[in-house]
Amino acid sequence: MKTKKLLSILVLILIISMAYGTYNLSLSQFKLSDKNNSYLGGLTWSRSLDASLQKAQQENKPIAMYFWAIWCQYCAKFQSDTLGNPQVKEILEKDYVLVAMDLDIDRDISRKYGVSYPPYVIFLDGKGDVLERIPGAVDANYFLPIVTKVRNQVRGK
Amino acid sequence: MMTFGNAILYTSLAISAIALIGLLLKDRKNNELLTKLVSPAIIIVAGLLTFAYLLLTYYFVASDFTYEYVWQYSSRDLPLIYKISGTWAGQPGTYLLWVWVIFLSAAWLAQTTKHATPLARRTQIITLAIGVYFIVLTLIQTPFKSIYELADVPPGFVPADGSGLNALLINFWMIVHPPLMFIGYATITIPFAAAIVYLLTKEDGWEELGRQWARFTWLILGMGIAVGGVWAYVVLGWGGFWAWDPVETASFIPWLTLTGFMHAAALHRKNKTTFSIAAPMLAAVTFILVLYAAIVVRSGLFNSVHAFGDTSTGTLLISSVIITGVVSLVLGMRRYLEEPDKVEEDKGFWSKTNIFYVTLLLFVILAFISFWGITYPVFIQLTQGFKVNVASDTKNFFNVWSYPFTILLMLALGFCLNYKESEKEKRKKTLFIVAALSIIAMFLRTETFYVLDHSSPFWVREPQIYKLMGSISVISIFPSLIYATAAIYQYLSGYLKLGNARVRIKGIGIAIVHIAVIFTLFGAIISSNFTYTNQGINIPLEEKGVLLDVGDGYGIKVVDYSTRSLTETSYSGTPIADVLANPSLFEKDVTISGKVTNFNSSGSHGTLVELTDNSGSMWVVFEGNVPVTVNSGLTASGRIMSGFEKPVLIARGADEFDVSGKYNVQSVQLEVYENHRKIGSGVAEYLQGKGGSGTFPMIAPSITLFGGDVYVIFQGVGGGAVPLTLKIVPAVNFAWIGIILFAVGIILIMAVKSKPKGG
Repeated sequence: MKTKKLLSILVLILIISMAYGTYNLSLSQFKLSDKNNSYLGGLTWSRSLDASLQKAQQENKPIAMYFWAIWCQYCAKFQSDTLGNPQVKEILEKDYVLVAMDLDIDRDISRKYGVSYPPYVIFLDGKGDVLERIPGAVDANYFLPIVTKVRNQVRGK
Repeated sequence: MMTFGNAILYTSLAISAIALIGLLLKDRKNNELLTKLVSPAIIIVAGLLTFAYLLLTYYFVASDFTYEYVWQYSSRDLPLIYKISGTWAGQPGTYLLWVWVIFLSAAWLAQTTKHATPLARRTQIITLAIGVYFIVLTLIQTPFKSIYELADVPPGFVPADGSGLNALLINFWMIVHPPLMFIGYATITIPFAAAIVYLLTKEDGWEELGRQWARFTWLILGMGIAVGGVWAYVVLGWGGFWAWDPVETASFIPWLTLTGFMHAAALHRKNKTTFSIAAPMLAAVTFILVLYAAIVVRSGLFNSVHAFGDTSTGTLLISSVIITGVVSLVLGMRRYLEEPDKVEEDKGFWSKTNIFYVTLLLFVILAFISFWGITYPVFIQLTQGFKVNVASDTKNFFNVWSYPFTILLMLALGFCLNYKESEKEKRKKTLFIVAALSIIAMFLRTETFYVLDHSSPFWVREPQIYKLMGSISVISIFPSLIYATAAIYQYLSGYLKLGNARVRIKGIGIAIVHIAVIFTLFGAIISSNFTYTNQGINIPLEEKGVLLDVGDGYGIKVVDYSTRSLTETSYSGTPIADVLANPSLFEKDVTISGKVTNFNSSGSHGTLVELTDNSGSMWVVFEGNVPVTVNSGLTASGRIMSGFEKPVLIARGADEFDVSGKYNVQSVQLEVYENHRKIGSGVAEYLQGKGGSGTFPMIAPSITLFGGDVYVIFQGVGGGAVPLTLKIVPAVNFAWIGIILFAVGIILIMAVKSKPKGG
C-alpha cells in the first residue's frame, strides 16, 4: 500500500509540474495571437483589417492579408519556409502592412474575399481592392517575385 | 414539427423512462409494480431505435431532401454506398448511431442477466440513464428535422437536389471509420456502469459483467483509430498516419486508459483486493474521456480540421463530463478512505502488483500528455483570449513528452509479462542492465535519428528543454524493444507447452497483442524518422511522357494527365429513352434535359440541337437563333412531333444548367524511378468539390517488411505544371502488421470462455 501511495504522489507531482511548465512555455514562446496581433512566421500581423486599410493609405503601402488556421498542417510549413524566408520576410516587414485572418474566427472576411481554405495570401491596396491572390502553401521562389511586383506596383502609383 | 422519426425518438424516450422507473422502484423500494415491464420495454426501445436508424437510411437512399440532414449530407448523384454512409457523416446521425448501440447493449444486458442480481439491476439503471441522456442529445440535434422548420424555407418547397457529401468523405475509409469509432464509444457504457455500481456498493462480479464489453470496445475503438490512420495515410495526404490532430488524439486517450483498465482488471480478477480502486476508476475515466472526445469533435471549441463545428449540444456534453467526473472522483475517494489499511506483508517495491501499478501509471501519464496537449491551448484561448501552440511544431510536444514514458512502458512490459517471484533477483539484474543500456543509447550521435527532427525548420525555434529532450537518440528505444520481445517470446513458449487448450489459446492471444505493440512502435518510429521527402517538384505539362530527374537519384515520369467527374450527372425531366419508346404519349407536353452533343443553326428559321442524357439522345427544334455550345446542359420543354423518321421535340422554351459534376477529379499517371530503375507507378489524384479539396496520393506499397512505400502527393495542376511531393516511407508495413496482430490477439482472448465459477 505504502509503495503505491508514494508512486501515485510522485506521478501526481510529475504531471502537475509538466502541466504547469508547458502552460507557461506556451504563453511565453508559442503565442500565435492575442487581441490585437497575430504572431506568425516570425512576423507581427494586425488582426484588424479596417485599421490596416487606414494605415496602408497613410503610408502608401500595400496590404498582405494572410489567412491561416491553427489546425492547418501546411500553414506551419508555409510560415517557416516561405514567410520565414529572409528575403520575403524583409520585404514584408519593411514595405507592407500585415494583417492576418484566422479562418476559425474571421469567417465573414474570409467569405467576402472568397477564401475557403488556408494558407491563402491576398494582396490589397489601401482602398481594399485585390491586387493579387496566392492560394496554397507555395514556396519562397514562387512567393518572392509576386511580393516584389505588388510592392513596385503600389509604389509606382 | 413532429416528424415520424422524431415521434419514434420521443416514444423511445418515454418507454425507456418507464423501464428506468421500474428498475428504480424494484431496487429502492422493492416495489414489483413495473418489474415485469422492464425487459420488454428495453427490448422495444432497442427495436424502435433500430427502426429509426433504418428509417434514416431509407430517407438517404430515397433522397428525401425534405429532411435537413439528408439535404445537407447527400445528393442524388452519389453512389448508393455513399448515400448510406451519409447517415454517419454529420453529428445528428452519429448521435443516433451512438444511442442505438447503447440500447442494443442494454438489451443484451436485459436478456443475459434478466436483472436477477442487484449488480445487474443497478448496472442497467446507469446504462439506461446514459441511454436516456443520449436520446435527449439525439432529439436536440435530431437527424429527423424537417426543412420546413427552417426560417427561409417556404411550405411545400421540395429541394431538387441535396448539397452533397464533403469531397473528403467520398472514399472507402469514410464508410468504415466513423461507425467503428461510434460503436466503440457506445460499448464502453456497460463497463463504466458496472464500475460505478462497484464503487458505490462493492458489488462483486462487476468485472466479469463488463469484461467482454471492455475487450470489444478495445478492439473496435482501436481498429477505428487504426483505420483513421490508414485513411490519413492513403487519402488525406496529411503527411503520415498520425498527425496529433486534436480529434484523432482525443479518440486515442480513452483507448490508452482502457488499455490500463484491462491490465488492472487482469490482476483484479485473480485477487479482488488488488487494484480494487484503480481498476474501476480506470473504467470510469475511460467513459469520461469518451464523452470528452465527443466534446472535442462537437463543441466547436477545438480548432481541428476534423471537427464538426459549433453545435447546440456542447454545453450538455460539458456538463455531463463534469458530473460523471465529480461522481467518479468522489466515489473513488470514498472507497479509498473506507478501505481498511491492510496489514499485508510488505514485499517492498519489487512485487508484481507494484510493477503492474507502475504500468498503470504509465498508461495514465501517456493519456495525460495527450489530454493536456489538446486541452490547455483551448483553455488559454477561452480564459485569456490568446491563441497559443503547444510547441513550435504541434507534434513535437506529443513526441517529446511521450517518448521517455514509452521506453519505461517497454521496460515494464519486459519485466512484468513473464514475472516469476522465484527468479526475481535475476530478472531485476537484467532489467537494470537494459535500463542502463537505454540511457547510454540516448547519448549516441547519429545523422538524423533523434526524437525531434533536427533538419525541420521548426527545430531552431523550439525552446531549450525541447531541444534537450529532442536530442535524445532514438537508438535508445531498441534495448527496451528487444528486452520486451524476449519476454514475449519466453511467455509464448511457456504457454505453447501447456496441455489445456483454453489457457493456451488465451496465452497465445496475450502474446500476440504484445507483439503487436512492438511491431506498431517499430514501424511508427522507423517510418517517421527515415522518410525521404522531396517537396516542390514541378513538372510542366508539356514534359508529359519524359522521364525527369528530380534529384537524389530519383526520376519521375508523368505518363498521363486527365480530368473527370466523380459522379454521373443526373438529368431532370423525362428520360429521353422513354420519349423515344413511346412518342405518341408526349404529343402534348414533355420536358427533357441533356447535354448538347450537336447542333445545327439555320439562321432565323430555327436551331436544331441534339440533347443526350444517360439513356439516349434526340433532336430538339428551337424557333429562331438560339446560342448554344456543345457540352453545356439544356432543359427543353415542348411537344413531340412524331411524324418524322425519328421523333423531334418542338421546344417552347429552354433553360441552361450546369453539367460539370460536383466532384471533379484531376489525375496524373506517374512512374517513379530510382537510378533509372522503375520503383513504382500508379495514379495520384486531386479532388475538388463540396467542402474543399482532397489529395489522393499515389502509393506503391512495398512488399518487403523494411522496404519503402513510394508515396507521391499531387496538389492539382497550377500554372501549367504538375506539383508533386515525393516521399519514400520505409518500414510502414510493420505498423500495418502490428494493427492486424492487435485484432487477432484480442479476438483470441475474447474467444476463450472465462473459467466457470468454482472450477
